[in-house]
Amino acid sequence: MTRLFAVIERDLKKFKRNPVVLGMSILMPIIYLVILGNSFQGKLTDLPLAVVSQDGGPYAKRLVEYLMAVQAGPKTFLVLPMTDQKKAVDGVRTGKYKAALIIPPDFSKRVVVNGRPDVGLFLDNTDSISADTIRNLIDAALSSLGSEYVPVREPDGTPLLRDINLYGKVDYYQSLVPGVVIMAIFLGTLTTGAFNLVMDRFLGIEESYLLTPLSKGNIVGGLIISGLFITTINALFIFVASVLITGIPLSRGFGNFLPVFLVVVLTTLCLLSLMFAIMGRISHPRIVGVLSGFLNVILFFPSGAVYPVASFPGWLKSFARVNPEAYAVDAMKSLLFKNVGLGNIMGDLLFLSLFTAAMMGLAIATFKRTL
Amino acid sequence: MGERDSVESASQDKAITVSGITREFGLATAVDRISFEVDRGEFFGFLGPNGAGKTTLIRMLTTLLKPTSGQAIVSGYDVAEHPSQVRRRIGVVPQAMTSDLDLTGRENMDIYGRFYGIRSAERKERTDELLEMVGLAQRADDLVATYSGGMRRRLEIARVLVHRPALLFLDEPTIGLDPQSRRVVWELLKKLIRSDTITIFLTTHYMEEAEMLCGRVAIIDAGKIIAMGSPPELKAGIPGNDIVTLRVGGLTDDITAAIGKLPFVHKVNREEDSVSASVEGGAQNLPGLIDIVRASGGTILSASVHEQSLEDVFIHYTGKSIREEEAKKVSFLVGAGMPRRLGG
Ligand SMILES: Nc1ncnc2c1ncn2[C@@H]1O[C@H](COP(=O)(O)OP(=O)(O)OP(=O)(O)O)[C@@H](O)[C@H]1O
Ligand SMILES: [Mg+2]
Repeated sequence: MTRLFAVIERDLKKFKRNPVVLGMSILMPIIYLVILGNSFQGKLTDLPLAVVSQDGGPYAKRLVEYLMAVQAGPKTFLVLPMTDQKKAVDGVRTGKYKAALIIPPDFSKRVVVNGRPDVGLFLDNTDSISADTIRNLIDAALSSLGSEYVPVREPDGTPLLRDINLYGKVDYYQSLVPGVVIMAIFLGTLTTGAFNLVMDRFLGIEESYLLTPLSKGNIVGGLIISGLFITTINALFIFVASVLITGIPLSRGFGNFLPVFLVVVLTTLCLLSLMFAIMGRISHPRIVGVLSGFLNVILFFPSGAVYPVASFPGWLKSFARVNPEAYAVDAMKSLLFKNVGLGNIMGDLLFLSLFTAAMMGLAIATFKRTL
Repeated sequence: MGERDSVESASQDKAITVSGITREFGLATAVDRISFEVDRGEFFGFLGPNGAGKTTLIRMLTTLLKPTSGQAIVSGYDVAEHPSQVRRRIGVVPQAMTSDLDLTGRENMDIYGRFYGIRSAERKERTDELLEMVGLAQRADDLVATYSGGMRRRLEIARVLVHRPALLFLDEPTIGLDPQSRRVVWELLKKLIRSDTITIFLTTHYMEEAEMLCGRVAIIDAGKIIAMGSPPELKAGIPGNDIVTLRVGGLTDDITAAIGKLPFVHKVNREEDSVSASVEGGAQNLPGLIDIVRASGGTILSASVHEQSLEDVFIHYTGKSIREEEAKKVSFLVGAGMPRRLGG
């Protein structure tokens, strides 16, 4: 036991002497929340849409009104009425507009005659996400013309669709909180635990403790425990900060604090063991650098933190089934947004525990006590 | 414990018994079938140039590297079979500096003591005593990052003594230190071997170091022991007793050959514009040497006579000097046995 504690204390002392790392590991995930929240918006807004109406009929007017209503409501596009068709299409080519909608002169007539009018829609399909969104909305607008329902302009800020939410309102920023906490854990486990071993090895300092009676378990266990300590505190700090920043109701954010704490601890242990199993034999920190970007992408994006696992293609879904971060995100989301107790996340906890045990075993088995 | 019965009875009185130990890295053989014994209480040295295999040998004796073949019994235990028993009994100062820069000197010592499971009170007492001994008591609570190379080395020597090892390994302990710090380390080691019942195994490529400290020296080159014995024995084992070195203007191979033919000259070696000859009675025969150079058309630029040293023993057996090799030593870290990965 003394030996294990000595390994832990050595690691913690060294960490404490490096305040820049400490500050950065707290600041970075929070900046991450802000950047992620603003770049991966849940909905697209303000896409410039050029509209050229060559038809003065009632249905053309109704279509334009519909588009204006979208502009006023969810703000998906910015409707720019124009008269010159060529200018509008060129604008799409040069990237000035995301799309140009051309309503032909016989539009209203055709609606009356066969209910299926044609419009010209020029899309900038190099940006497929915007293109899809615009196409779907115009489609919806055209089908609504058949019915007698006339969309009226609603007051600003009120969405056209009224969703029925099963759980309390969760805005996009709030829904990112589990992801940000998991990200903080990932970054923490990447720069503690096994990384310190790689660093010692690179600096040739490892030799000094391999020469002592420390066992494999002392070395691996000690580094994992000190990494757990640092990363857990860090992640909890970030959890509290992001609950406050995004305005998750405190009763929900902190009402479940103990289970959240448990999920954080277990996820940290799990990732620390995984890192040890992967990096236990690496001798150059540059390899860790290369690996870290890769691991982040393959663990974080398929975790359901940003996009729902349900929308993944089959093969990615099966990967999510063995990705510990997916279980961590699921557990956190359940605790924060569905307000369920420990009982409902037992499956997640069980998977994380088993994964941890397997990786820790692998880490100790593959750790070399010689150079 | 419980491994008592596995102790080789024949080697109870020996600190180290090595037979035919070999280590290969891919196709290269770093240590080639080396055998030797070290008695308890001995100060034993391995002298050899860069790349001779000193670090590889120490790493095998201290459980860090598995031998390709052969056997080593250290402190009564086979290093391959009972590495943890060996580790408990030895102290090792590796070639590269291995103290933690982010910790203070005292913290380095304390944590190391805990790795050996030493109790708090004893650790404290021992730490103070050792820091005092290596002259670091004043700086004990400063970060090691603020130490000089010599101070760091002294700290590492103190650190390795915390658990009172019966057998101490030092891999080129004074490399990279200035002459003054080197002397401090020498004094320390001398004091140790005098006061304690400790066995010291040291490697070096400084012949003065081996000559001054070691009771017995093995000279190693290219992975093989080429000579072994006490420094006086080693010197007596090669012909002549003095070395005369002449720098000659217009030196030719003919001049070298003429010197070699003189009756009192045992061996000549030419290095660029100088010849060194191992000579019986250097001072008396110096005029004779100068005459022959002049007669063969050379001019004397300088002449010196010195007693034979281990350096000359090395030259005698290998035909090259250790100093030549020394110049190639690029840096402290590179000399530390890197790269470990290649073929290993
Ligand atoms: N891990 C390794 N992989 C490949 N070759 C190695 C390895 N370690 C050592 N060697 C080689 O083995 C030989 C002996 O190296 P070693 O480090 O033991 O020499 P040394 O006597 O300690 O030299 P120095 O005085 O420079 O420390 C060298 O040729 C070296 O290149
Ligand atoms: Mg060496």
